[in-house]
Amino acid sequence: MTAILIATFLTATVEWVEAYTIILAVALSIGWRRALEAAGTALLALAALTGLGSFILTRIHDLAVMQLVVGIFLTLFGVRWLGKAVARGAGLKKLHDEDAEFAALRARSEIHETRAAWLIAFNGMLLEGLEVWLIVVALGVQTHHTLAASIAALAALAVVAAAGAMLRKPLARVPENTIKFTVGAAVLSFGSFWVLESLGYRWPLGDASLLALFSFFLLGGLALVRLYAPKTREVKVI
Amino acid sequence: MQGFIKTLFGDKRTLATAGLAIGTAVAVLHSPAQMLAGLALPVCLLAGAAYLARH
Repeated sequence: MTAILIATFLTATVEWVEAYTIILAVALSIGWRRALEAAGTALLALAALTGLGSFILTRIHDLAVMQLVVGIFLTLFGVRWLGKAVARGAGLKKLHDEDAEFAALRARSEIHETRAAWLIAFNGMLLEGLEVWLIVVALGVQTHHTLAASIAALAALAVVAAAGAMLRKPLARVPENTIKFTVGAAVLSFGSFWVLESLGYRWPLGDASLLALFSFFLLGGLALVRLYAPKTREVKVI
Repeated sequence: MQGFIKTLFGDKRTLATAGLAIGTAVAVLHSPAQMLAGLALPVCLLAGAAYLARH
């Protein structure tokens, strides 16, 4: 349960930081009230999606089928995040830069039109929140802790909002790639564990195999960063 | 809608990578070396992450 809450909190932190950059850029054009209204509307849509996703998944009465469905989605999510984090860690891709993202948003002409800016804030919050939604629903339903996972995601939102309210500038110092790397390894561990278990495989160490899987993905990912880094002569973040 | 689908499934490369890894693990699971499925899946997924990092 603790691992699930930590994974949800960290995933949400990364996504809310990116969403905050968008909201901030919009708020400077159309005011905080309208920007927060757009973000709030997107959050309501995400809450509705969470309810709907949980409802659909809990209709699956066969535990193995539910494990397989959730496991596949987590595997898809985890492999994507780990691959991205390795690429950024090794310098194959640019690190996500909130300051640059903010500057690019501010340079967009439509951000100065109320309606278009409202939509930018709404879409930004919704799209960033979709990954949080996926983790909350997948991890929450599978472990029967959807409410706790939702609270972890909301706690991350509160932390990012508080930091944003204090600083009033993009949260560029959040170690986003390190978090993505760790969460990618953790989510991939849950995903592969449940996929195989649903297919009838008995893990030799039981639930403790999750820790072994996490170590494998973490160390394997770090080895990949080392392997790829010399070609670019730069190792960043990890 | 496009963002929703991309969040759920990723792009074609992600789908192919995860699909191949799970397919390989299923094949191992139904072979005499079924105990190795727990090794085959993580190894294939790590290889998939390595591929996605490069492309």
